[in-house]
Amino acid sequence: MAEVATTPPTHLQLFVGMQQVALSSFGGGLSAWSERIVVEERQWMSKEEFITGLTVARLFPGPNQINMAVYIGSHFRGLTGAIAALLGILLLPFSLLMLLGLGYYYLHETLAVDRVLSGVITASAGMALSMGFKIAGAYSRDPVALLLAGASFLAMTVFHVRLVPLVLVAGPLAMAWYWPREPKR
Amino acid sequence: MSAASVACQAVQLTDWHQLLAVIWDFLSLSLFSLGGGNTLLNEYHHMAVDQYCWLTSRQFADIYAIAEAAPGPSSMIVGLLGMGAAVKEGPLWGVFSGLMAEIAILLPSTLLMVAAALSWNRLRHSPWRLAFERGLGPITLGILFAVGLKILHISDHDTPAYAVSLVVCVLMLRTKISPLWFMAVAGLMGALGLVNR
Repeated sequence: MAEVATTPPTHLQLFVGMQQVALSSFGGGLSAWSERIVVEERQWMSKEEFITGLTVARLFPGPNQINMAVYIGSHFRGLTGAIAALLGILLLPFSLLMLLGLGYYYLHETLAVDRVLSGVITASAGMALSMGFKIAGAYSRDPVALLLAGASFLAMTVFHVRLVPLVLVAGPLAMAWYWPREPKR
Repeated sequence: MSAASVACQAVQLTDWHQLLAVIWDFLSLSLFSLGGGNTLLNEYHHMAVDQYCWLTSRQFADIYAIAEAAPGPSSMIVGLLGMGAAVKEGPLWGVFSGLMAEIAILLPSTLLMVAAALSWNRLRHSPWRLAFERGLGPITLGILFAVGLKILHISDHDTPAYAVSLVVCVLMLRTKISPLWFMAVAGLMGALGLVNR
């Protein structure tokens, strides 16, 4: 069991630490890098605390890795700590993305760029398609869950229902169904 | 060009009322980003292509790929959408608009996350939490399939393209190969003319 630092990180340390996470994960694996740096290298949190944070980050709306940075920041320094951590994790990737974006919007009509991208999008479409399959296994034994998933899918693709009304109607119904009941003895 | 794209009037973001309307749209979507945010991709497409006419469907597929390939959270695609809305006014407007869009999509979920982090000990055993987690999971699943199908539909236009997508999908699920390799190989196939739009 790793020792956990007694003094919580300062705002500057949160900013620098999250920037280190962002830099290390150029090329992928943000989640693993985040744990390596926060738990092992800097020892801000125990592994258990980190996993609790991941649970919260996944449960609440928002991108998981960004939510995790916000969790770490607010865990130690409240709202301002969250902002420091958020800036740390976003500054470099977002600046780079803005440069790529400018490159794209000014050059996308160039034949070479267009041809490369027409290949790349086939791969990213495959990645998008895999997202659903990745979590489908968890629900394969629950017919109500499959019904809910199927109905949400049909509502969106066939009936063009927008996400907000869909979640506002199906969400409370699903929550009522799954409301924890007293265990039967 | 189809009739729809001619009828579509691009919104002028240099007009402050329009800018505020767009910021409001992103703010109000923020709390609906279930399952890590990918569930919002259909809404982004609807906003950017059908509602505000910032991008064509083809450009949307491009910036989705760029956001996936670039380092950092792929949900930063919102920054590229915002940029696409204003880049015609010049690069500085593009970056400013991209930054505003990104702040708008992250602000509400971040504030909620701070509140959640600070009160987690009270929330963790609440029946609301259990019902939310179990109930919204299947809905997220259905939406993710709808999103996958939509991206597939706007990206692929010939049989070899669909074949590459299906192979990548299977490899994503069965192997731990970095997605960057898939994009590099597919990009090369595009450059060689093996897959086309």
